[in-house]
Amino acid sequence: MIAQAMSLPRQRDGLGALILLVAVPAGLALMLTVFDLIHVLPTHLWWQALTAPDTSDPVQLLYRYAFLPRVAVSVLAGAALGLAGVVMQHVLRNPLAEPTTIGTNAGASLALAAATLYAPWLLEGGREGVALAGGALATSAVFALARGRSFSPVSIIIAGLVVSLTFGSAGALLMALNREYTEELFIWQSGSLVQNGDAAVVALAPWLLAGICAAFLLWRPLRLLDLSDDGAASLGTRPAVIRLAGMAVAVSLGALVVAEVGVIGFVALAAPALARLAGARTLGRRLVWSPLVGGALLWFTDRLVQHLPFAGEIPAGTATALLGAPLLLFLLPRMRTTPERQADMMSSVRLPTNGLPLIAGLLALILAVVVAMGFGRGAGGWHWIASEDLTELLALRAPRVVVALSAGVLLAVAGTLMQRMTGNPMAAPEVLGISGGASFGVLALLLLSDGFDRAAMLGAALAGALLALTIVVLVGRRNALSPARLLLAGVAVATVASAFAALLLASGDPRTGFLLAWLSGSTYRATPNDAFTAAAVAVAVLALAPLTARWLDIVPLGETAARGLGLRLGRVRAILLALTALATATATLVIGPLSFVGLMAPHLARMLGFRRAVPQLLASAMAGGLILVAADWAGRTLIFPWQVPAGLIAAFVGGPYFMALMWKGRQ
Amino acid sequence: MAALTRRQYLAGLAATGLALPGGTARAAPARVVCLEWTSAEMVVSLGVSPLAVGDTRGYGDWVQGPALPQATIDLGSRSEPNLELLRELRPDLIVGAYGYGLDENSFTRLAPTFNVPFYSGKAPPYAQAQQVTLQLGNMLGRGTEAENLVGRIEASIAQARARLERAVQKPVCVVSMFDDRHVRVYGAGSLLQDVLDRLGLVNAWTGATNEWGFSTVGIEELVAVGEAQLISLDPIPPHVRIRIARNSLWANLPCIRNGQVRTIPPVWPFGGLTAAGRFAEFMAAA
Repeated sequence: MIAQAMSLPRQRDGLGALILLVAVPAGLALMLTVFDLIHVLPTHLWWQALTAPDTSDPVQLLYRYAFLPRVAVSVLAGAALGLAGVVMQHVLRNPLAEPTTIGTNAGASLALAAATLYAPWLLEGGREGVALAGGALATSAVFALARGRSFSPVSIIIAGLVVSLTFGSAGALLMALNREYTEELFIWQSGSLVQNGDAAVVALAPWLLAGICAAFLLWRPLRLLDLSDDGAASLGTRPAVIRLAGMAVAVSLGALVVAEVGVIGFVALAAPALARLAGARTLGRRLVWSPLVGGALLWFTDRLVQHLPFAGEIPAGTATALLGAPLLLFLLPRMRTTPERQADMMSSVRLPTNGLPLIAGLLALILAVVVAMGFGRGAGGWHWIASEDLTELLALRAPRVVVALSAGVLLAVAGTLMQRMTGNPMAAPEVLGISGGASFGVLALLLLSDGFDRAAMLGAALAGALLALTIVVLVGRRNALSPARLLLAGVAVATVASAFAALLLASGDPRTGFLLAWLSGSTYRATPNDAFTAAAVAVAVLALAPLTARWLDIVPLGETAARGLGLRLGRVRAILLALTALATATATLVIGPLSFVGLMAPHLARMLGFRRAVPQLLASAMAGGLILVAADWAGRTLIFPWQVPAGLIAAFVGGPYFMALMWKGRQ
Repeated sequence: MAALTRRQYLAGLAATGLALPGGTARAAPARVVCLEWTSAEMVVSLGVSPLAVGDTRGYGDWVQGPALPQATIDLGSRSEPNLELLRELRPDLIVGAYGYGLDENSFTRLAPTFNVPFYSGKAPPYAQAQQVTLQLGNMLGRGTEAENLVGRIEASIAQARARLERAVQKPVCVVSMFDDRHVRVYGAGSLLQDVLDRLGLVNAWTGATNEWGFSTVGIEELVAVGEAQLISLDPIPPHVRIRIARNSLWANLPCIRNGQVRTIPPVWPFGGLTAAGRFAEFMAAA
């Protein structure tokens, strides 16, 4: 279990630091607010326009129903998130718990997307109920998955990640299939604090108040959670009930903020962490200070983005993600984590490894490719390709199949390399933010230019992937690549990438269609050129990877052993990193950042008994190729003539598959 | 660049009536497919039934007029029209707009294409719609129908203007509502702006717009349009309509306090002449 305390240089009272922590952002925010107000309304009218606004005066109208509510909502939402974060982190004994990492936000988002499309009447009274139901459902799923591991922090974060990705891909699918009907969701997703009256304030304030009351009523019992469960029980409390009550409060607060203003990332994570760093060591202190820090932070962020040169373009949710991610990366090395014995995530059956399963796998892959190329759907129903259609249909299908195959192989190899390199069964390009880094590069390029140059995009993706890999490795290095830290660094990078994506999507850029398709892993735009590039890189990586076999067999044994065996670790790591980055960047470029293949394929290979480096690499490459080829084929045929992106299908199948593995591994 | 010049060349040929093999029987393309709604609206308006259209359900909700023939095949989403189905349909002509990330090359290898070059920023959308309608008419062998359509829309806009001139008209502000905090407001560079100009109506929204002629703004910015008559395009999601009415800012906006919001039936803001005609008609039918 991770000891939840952040390491502190020395014991001290810390009240001064805490006051500074709140006062500095709040003071700056106040200055900016007053500065803005002076431009809105003359000072002598401030009070009168607040209590009895003359609504026929547009200036007073804006002041009373747009400006002031926005300030109030930023403070309230920030405080609610700070409180939700501190309660969650305490209950789960997990410094990383917050509505984003434990699935609440993804659940609420999916529920809102589904309601907007299929049951809009549910939203007439407001979004709260729907968001609450979705958030609670997703969080429960996360808990159910993490239960068997007594809610260990890493298992919760992983379960949260898997649930979030699955729910997120379902939401993306709904939006991609209903483009014109989901404009509302695009705007909402980016976390805009724009207000149109007191509605959000009126909705948030009583809930925040109730949350504060509940938190303080729970304060004593919550403190007992620091004891072992047996100890707490012997004092006459029931830890399970307390946990449930605490989570109910925290999830409600998180879901409400999502309902009112959309996804505001990182505040719930950063506020308690900062409060703790500044010296709030007891739960009571953190309960008091975290909401204050959260409120001050969001208030300041929201004011600040309105004064940046590209004013009005950056919604608050995006800004907090952009500011918060570096903060998280900065905090990570300062977090004390007692290393958790990382048992094999997956139960595995050991089979005698010989060439036979590999050949069977190869045959399955060939069969899949033949079906994907030859069997499809047309106006007249299902049919095999006719000989007279051969050239024309193959010209349409081959690039897509080849791209899917190559991307699957590349991601699988990248995942295998990373899992062996870090000794972390959860390492994968998607999970550790390498795909996120690659998409970040592409998105940044799209923001800065208005072209579609494939070569430039590949370069940008590569740069992004390398950057992300370097960050992740640097951050994780201090603690022998501790799984928790690696995952967090990955989450941070992935969050920045998705914040960028939300920004682009909400800007109404005409390339939105392309972007949506790419983000969800569509092969529709695959050109023969793409197919050729991806295939060439896949072949090269497949040819190079076995050359690293000896390293890959040794590196998992640990640093000392590796040095003892004469490995020059620095150089080995650099080469493996470069190989991983190249594979991930190419795959991300052609199939988008979301697929789960890099996580799933190496596990499949291991479960089938391929333990040594080369067999695992090959088997995992085959599994990866097979998954994406099958997903692409299903996406092209299932709801013909409409199409579902291959990446979405892979994530959609892979997420539950992974959940099932976690569920089975609970005992 | 090659595609562009080729397109211009084709368009030029179409305009002079030479695009199709001359001689006795000018075979107009019979099997026409439309990748998205703007081209579908134009093709149907010329009396041609497209074989297939991208996202037929959405067309019914957002474009509405002219209605697609019952037998129209759904081509899948507008951002990913199904290429295999398209090939199977053996079209003589593929009509579409490529401004939003589709690659025209994937279609040229299946059939001749005709590009609906809207919002290139070179000409006002209404004039462009007229020009494209005439070109498309020639290409489809419906030159007369195209000329009639141009004339008919001009006439119905003039009629609408005459009806509107009987009373003093307030400036107007045309919006689409997607959620209860933001609106999409149409201004300079939009088809709707061109029609407003022809109707003699003043658009109260003079703020900046993007290259498609609209801007997504928080509703507080509607203070800028003062007491203009607010026109809202259907479809508005019912829950948005209900929730926006409860907003204190919305309820107190000058344009809401002093008048009703007028909701008019769906008009495809990125459409062609029929969309323009529909808009004029709805504006005059008060």
